[in-house]
Amino acid sequence: MSRHLSVLSNLIIVLQVFLIVFCFVDVSVLPPYVMFAGRFHPLILHLPISLIILLIPFSFYVQRRKEHTDLNSLFELVLHYIAIIATLTALAGFLLAAGGGYEPAALQFHKWLGVAIAFVSHALIYLRKAFVSRLAFWNTSLLATLMLTITGSHYGGTLTHGEGFFAFKEKKESGVVIPTFTEKTTVFAGAVQPVLMAKCAYCHNDQKMKGGLNMKDIASMIKGGKNGAMWVSGDPEKSLMIQRMLLDLDDKNHMPPKGKTQLSSAEMHLFAEWIRAGANAKKTYHALAETDTLKKIIAKIIETDPTLKEEKVYAFEAASASSIKKLNSPFRTIRQLSANSPALSVTFFLQEKFTLELLKECKSIGDQIVELSLSGMPADDQIFPIISSFTNLEKLNLNATSITGKGLTELAELKKLEQLSVASTSIKADDLSSLLKMPALKSIYIWNSKISEADLTTLKSKSKPIHWELGYIPNKTEVLQLSVPLPADKDKMILDNEEYIVLKNPMPNAKIRYTTDGTTPDSLTGQVFTNPIPATNLLRIKAITTAPGWISSEVTDISFYRKGISVDSAKLLTEPSRGGPLGIKILIDLKKGLSQTGDQLYTSWLGFVNNPLKAGFYFKKNTPINKVVISTADMTGSSSSGGNPFPPRKIVIKGGPDPKHLKQIGTASPEVPSARRPNASIPYIVSIEPGTYNYIELEVHQLAKLPSWHPEKGQKAWVFVDEVFFY
Amino acid sequence: MENQEKQFRLNVTRRHFLTKAGLGFGSAALGSLLFKDQLFGANDASSLPLGLAQYAPKAKRIIYLFQNGAPSQLETFDYKPLLNKMHGEELPASIRMGQRLTGMTANQDKFPLIGSTFGFSQYGQSGAWISSLFPNMASIADDICIVKTMNTEAINHDPALTFFQTGSQQGNRPSMGAWMSYGLGSENANLPAYTVLLSRGRGNGQGVYSKLWSNGFLDSVHQGVVFSSGENPVLYLNNPEGQDKKSRRDMLDELAKFNSEAFENFGDPEINTRIKQYEMSYRMQSAVPELTDLSKESDNTIKMYGPDCLVPGTYAANCLLARKLSESGVRFVQLYHQGWDTHGNLANDMTMQAEDVDRASAALVKDLKQRGLLDETLVIWGGEFGRTNYCQGKIDKDNYGRDHHPKCFSIWMAGGGIKPGTVYGETDEFGYNITRDPVSVHDFHATVLHLMGINHEQLTYKHLGRRYRLTDVAGQVVNGIIA
Repeated sequence: MSRHLSVLSNLIIVLQVFLIVFCFVDVSVLPPYVMFAGRFHPLILHLPISLIILLIPFSFYVQRRKEHTDLNSLFELVLHYIAIIATLTALAGFLLAAGGGYEPAALQFHKWLGVAIAFVSHALIYLRKAFVSRLAFWNTSLLATLMLTITGSHYGGTLTHGEGFFAFKEKKESGVVIPTFTEKTTVFAGAVQPVLMAKCAYCHNDQKMKGGLNMKDIASMIKGGKNGAMWVSGDPEKSLMIQRMLLDLDDKNHMPPKGKTQLSSAEMHLFAEWIRAGANAKKTYHALAETDTLKKIIAKIIETDPTLKEEKVYAFEAASASSIKKLNSPFRTIRQLSANSPALSVTFFLQEKFTLELLKECKSIGDQIVELSLSGMPADDQIFPIISSFTNLEKLNLNATSITGKGLTELAELKKLEQLSVASTSIKADDLSSLLKMPALKSIYIWNSKISEADLTTLKSKSKPIHWELGYIPNKTEVLQLSVPLPADKDKMILDNEEYIVLKNPMPNAKIRYTTDGTTPDSLTGQVFTNPIPATNLLRIKAITTAPGWISSEVTDISFYRKGISVDSAKLLTEPSRGGPLGIKILIDLKKGLSQTGDQLYTSWLGFVNNPLKAGFYFKKNTPINKVVISTADMTGSSSSGGNPFPPRKIVIKGGPDPKHLKQIGTASPEVPSARRPNASIPYIVSIEPGTYNYIELEVHQLAKLPSWHPEKGQKAWVFVDEVFFY
Repeated sequence: MENQEKQFRLNVTRRHFLTKAGLGFGSAALGSLLFKDQLFGANDASSLPLGLAQYAPKAKRIIYLFQNGAPSQLETFDYKPLLNKMHGEELPASIRMGQRLTGMTANQDKFPLIGSTFGFSQYGQSGAWISSLFPNMASIADDICIVKTMNTEAINHDPALTFFQTGSQQGNRPSMGAWMSYGLGSENANLPAYTVLLSRGRGNGQGVYSKLWSNGFLDSVHQGVVFSSGENPVLYLNNPEGQDKKSRRDMLDELAKFNSEAFENFGDPEINTRIKQYEMSYRMQSAVPELTDLSKESDNTIKMYGPDCLVPGTYAANCLLARKLSESGVRFVQLYHQGWDTHGNLANDMTMQAEDVDRASAALVKDLKQRGLLDETLVIWGGEFGRTNYCQGKIDKDNYGRDHHPKCFSIWMAGGGIKPGTVYGETDEFGYNITRDPVSVHDFHATVLHLMGINHEQLTYKHLGRRYRLTDVAGQVVNGIIA
């Protein structure tokens, strides 16, 4: 027994520590499952009340039988249980109250009385011991506890049943039903009244009529209260309700009063504008002009409160969360259309994972499926009996499935089907004939099926007016230009001895024609690319793509290089204006910069504008060298702010045993282009005096001024170089 | 992220607390009082049910064709004949009103007005004016809504792009796609919910940076995944030689065990993200080949998008890939096409840029439409700001340039709940200021989120002590462009 009691008394202490904590913190941050415990408050609160009431006769009974120690022990045990249950009740009460929705003043009283009851009932255990010989004191304590309990319970009752529950007055519901907001509802019924009902009618109703004001309908509102009418039509500034809501929150005349739910600024704005527009109770939202301020405010309110939105209402029940969860997988996504909608969309993914079984399993949520997509799945005609059991289906996507169309007839049972997509399938016009009268059908997508324009005319004549989408039909007179051939591997522009050049164009049936002699190929001349081309030191290829029914591509100008004599070391003698950090490495790293789009101008090229490119290259002793090849960017067609990479004006090569003993061994002066030409990377070959060299110095001078045909004529030209080869 | 973080915090603090106090329910409650942020941050993070549209969405997916560098509104959709009439005359001070200019033209002595060198005609039932550069886009005039009154706060590329993508100019926030992934989840668990495709035109280009598709403070699963512009959009997806699918599976299972152990020990939520990403990559081994497989495409697809659509890395190829990604349930496909920064040489650059994008952009809309997907896919086409109505540099006989202009510019949107065949808003005769129905970037974001079934004011994430939204503290849904 004593062990039992000591466990209980410890438990009471622990629980009351929690109760103290609850008094000082905001419990609303607790997780939902803890908050749920609050729901037990109404369940258990009657236990302490009845036990405390019972305690009075029980106490008298025990007082008469002091010699019965068992009875005394039992009394003590009951006291413990009362303390425990009173504390639990108080704790649960805190959790319940945190959910909100209670009248704050009554709540305050109830809360502190409840806490007091818990602590006092705990204290009774010790008081009984203290007052063992002073019965009057003990009885007084008991009576006080009882009074406390009754008062606390009263406020609890007020919270649950409302103020004046004991006033013997019949209470009626106000009777106004807030309508769903559609464009046909009036501004008053759809927007103004619901707000008044939610935030004002609490005190201004048939029963309460605070200030003599009743808001049950517009007539009562116009009548107003003891301070006069609620509004002056057309003049919000003079309207009492607007004035009252704009007062400072602490002003005693502010409405709604402090402590009640306040109006949002949008709602106040709404009232003001509605009054300004004449406080018309008949005007519909629909009748308002698009630019009307009132319309915009309401739109804003609808926007912030999705419950006011026109959402499609479905008659069916939601499927259980567990069955949705069970069916959901990466290959079969099941989603609610929106958070509050019972309607589901089902989409299948990954061809290799699709089986008919996966679709069959959906029958357990068949009533809820409103959208179904099997797009791209290898699904055949066996799907139709299953799909036709999804009676609420509205949207069906069977694009690019393997259906033949034979089973389509079964879909005719889907009375709610609005949209059917069968693009990229082999269905024929006949397959659709049974669907033409479907009651809800609005659109059919038949692009890339076996249905021709002529078929469609027949179908249209037989069907009710629905939207048919035949899709893109190429314009026969429109001929398009092919894309240029490309090297098969952009990283293989610099080749080893045994490597080959491969060109490609992704267009089926396209031919690539090319030349290596600098002439321009066309659809008749030039060699047709069939076999890989063996690399030479430098192979400048001009190539086009041709195909019947298409315009041949532009000429692409691509140069392939063979790795030449390796450079021992090198250094830049002038500062580049671009590509600085990597410096000389760019010229000898055996990496081509891309030229087609001007990509990588920043990382794979050295650009010079204010001074010529000068660089020195060292070789192993007495290396025989005959040619120097400089790969440049030629972007006469590029835009301004990236600089204007032009062909160099002059290239000068000097050579010798070391930098101090040099002579000029070769020069080249490339032609200045006479018009804009496609961007390309163009190599310049400089033949040098044959001989053996340890050191070669390269100078590349840019054009001083852009030619007169260029949009930026007169500006400085750039020179961009990405690689230098020695052969 | 907060789920995992919660889990982690819960693990540690609960275990810790249980050992100390051993009081079951009560201790959990007290623990949550003392460590409420750690334990139950979710209540603060967002008032929305994550992973679901808040209300029935008009659009399920977005394809954003971002024209990086800012195409001129005056050569695309905002027809201003007055500029041709006043060609070369000075921009009136009453129009400029001393508004901010960039450093590139602020020091010009003169601001000569310049008319478009390209002709304009009216198309579609709305009679939308579209320049002769875009014959194909003109053919979808009845499907698109041209918004002529976009305006932004930033005047240079990087902040303007960042603002458009993240709702803030600074670039530490999650981008639009990341918010969508966070708010709506993934439709197809075999692919990332947010993918990014890059291409570059022949015009003057401006860079794009990974911060534009950043997850910001959201979990890194929401980060945009850049698909490569090469032949294989996702690299290293094939099993290495000699490894079959089963041994790959076994390897991943073992790896996941190690990672789970690491998560147990360190509790870093990024470890769980990594495990998830490995699993998705494994499934991508099957999903990606389906994307690149063109065998189910019609022959007409090539004609529709143009032959470039077969060349990986081109805008046309990215548009086609975008359609396939979107069709496969990718929530947000973000394209960037560079090359619209026409400070000079506008006539040439715009021509080349238009050649690259016109056909494919229109084809994408047509392609979605013919598959019955346009009504649930929102397509957006536009840049980060507009361009000035005056010439940058000297006016040449047949060439000119335009500087950055944030005060007004044009974009178009199609599908996904957009009112088709309409033109929204009006600018003044000079194409400089907005006269009716301005749409700020925040408004744009609010509208896009709305179309996706999310209230922009309620999709929030608590970070560094405050709640963040894509629209920050601004933004109004533009109801005028919603069907």
